[in-house]
Amino acid sequence: MTGHPLLRVRDLTVGFTTAAGHTDVVKHLAFDLPRGGALGIVGESGSGKSMTSIAIMGLLPKGAKRTGSIELDGRELTTLREREMQAIRGDRIAMVFQDPLSSLNPYYTVGTQIAEAYRSHRTGVTRREARNVAIEAMERVHIRDAARRVDHYPHQFSGGMRQRVMIAMTLSMEPDLIIADEPTTALDVTVQAQILDLLAEIRRDTGAGLILITHDLAVVSEVADQIVVMREGDLVEQGTAERVFCDPQADYTRMLLDAVPRIDDEIGLLRTTSEEDR
Amino acid sequence: MSEPLLRASNLVKEFAIRGNGLLGRTATLRAVDDVSLEVRTGETLALVGESGSGKSTTARLIARLIDTTAGTIEFAGREVHALTGKDLHAYRGEVQVVFQDPYSSLNPKHTVERIVTAPLVYQKRPVPGGARVFTKALMERVGLNPDHSARFPAQFSGGQAQRIGIARALAVSPRLIIADEAVSALDVSVQAQVINLLRRLQDEEGFSYLFIAHDLAVVRQIATRVAVMNEGRIVESGERDRVFEDPQDPYTRKLLAAVPRIRPEWDAARRRNEAARRERQEAEA
Repeated sequence: MTGHPLLRVRDLTVGFTTAAGHTDVVKHLAFDLPRGGALGIVGESGSGKSMTSIAIMGLLPKGAKRTGSIELDGRELTTLREREMQAIRGDRIAMVFQDPLSSLNPYYTVGTQIAEAYRSHRTGVTRREARNVAIEAMERVHIRDAARRVDHYPHQFSGGMRQRVMIAMTLSMEPDLIIADEPTTALDVTVQAQILDLLAEIRRDTGAGLILITHDLAVVSEVADQIVVMREGDLVEQGTAERVFCDPQADYTRMLLDAVPRIDDEIGLLRTTSEEDR
Repeated sequence: MSEPLLRASNLVKEFAIRGNGLLGRTATLRAVDDVSLEVRTGETLALVGESGSGKSTTARLIARLIDTTAGTIEFAGREVHALTGKDLHAYRGEVQVVFQDPYSSLNPKHTVERIVTAPLVYQKRPVPGGARVFTKALMERVGLNPDHSARFPAQFSGGQAQRIGIARALAVSPRLIIADEAVSALDVSVQAQVINLLRRLQDEEGFSYLFIAHDLAVVRQIATRVAVMNEGRIVESGERDRVFEDPQDPYTRKLLAAVPRIRPEWDAARRRNEAARRERQEAEA
């Protein structure tokens, strides 16, 4: 056990320079994620929340400039070479994306893909061993009949099942940190509930830390214990989930919470940022 | 009770799908299976369900964008699928559709003025007061800056573009607007504004909505009555509060239970804190 948090982000800034000039899409972001913690990064489109996850993974597109510090277990990631970063990705940090279909290769069975992802991060693993790991991971995400389903192709799975396959893939790596970027946004509400339960279960069983990136405040309130609210690249508020939801300090957070439609109540008029509807 | 504006009875829609394998026989998918519903004047009927439930197909049948396999649709007492020529034209003016993605449902090469007057032009109806004046008045009604009538869809944000779609629907003074996931793609703060706009316009004009949505929290904000669809069938329908507070069908219960929500005690604490904050501010002022 070390004194370091699992992830420490300091002064993280991501910018792009184009013909039109320079724009920072993430500005001086700072937060800590303790071991086993769950951090929700919340924001609307253009807030920089997804760019933050890509910056942590070291997957920024060419032309993006990243400054500041990202420490995993006390180890600085921003100065690593690409080869070293590749070892971190998958092995230590795994990512779950919104659209599982575009993250899976349609030409290979899901078993092959889970197994290959596993083998690429473990030396001296045979194909047979990797296949067993894949079946085991699929069983852990409650895919029934995993020993048969392992030989199916992505298109043979429903959206929710594909997301389970993606999560199985990340699980097989036994990462310390899972970054889930809108993992349930494309899914039906009943399936979303299952995937959120699954993420909670994995955290409990493996002790992995979780960063959940979402636009959905209700989702984040069910999953995260720490919250970061972003807007146009700025961190506007952060704190424990309870504090942010019970006593939001920033005007923007208050507006956002006011705008969330409630299933248990019709709000006279939903309150909004602008007066244009009055 | 007054005669409903729209009455769909025993609607069925089947699609032919290819079976498995090279010699797979054609199978039929029954996307809409014996659906009956009514929309009354001035009310909002929300048709809710998950993907594949048949809610959008039902909406398309009612808009007469696709043909029924069986069943009848009466609008203001007339059978919709029997309409031809002039009468069908008239129906297209009475029923308008607002789609989920404003950018793909607005012609990117046309100005706002051309987009919102298009329904009148297609129907060979005069544009009251001329295109420019008419467009500016419509833009004001949906909360857009009337000076932007010569701009193109790409020059507007998602929420603004959706307002253009709503303005286009309003142009022909319809009696029924079918909103197919019309606020689903919008950011939460923008979504709240567009919901408010939809409610205000209905109050002003007295038209009806058939509101197709998967988001039950949004439906709670706008519906008068709710019909829940699953696998092509309506499993439950009724007054909004009755359905939300006392759901009868197991599927409705499952759907409602799955909706993520902010913890009620957190919400209550926030409202108390908010009230206290406002009091402090007033005391200081």
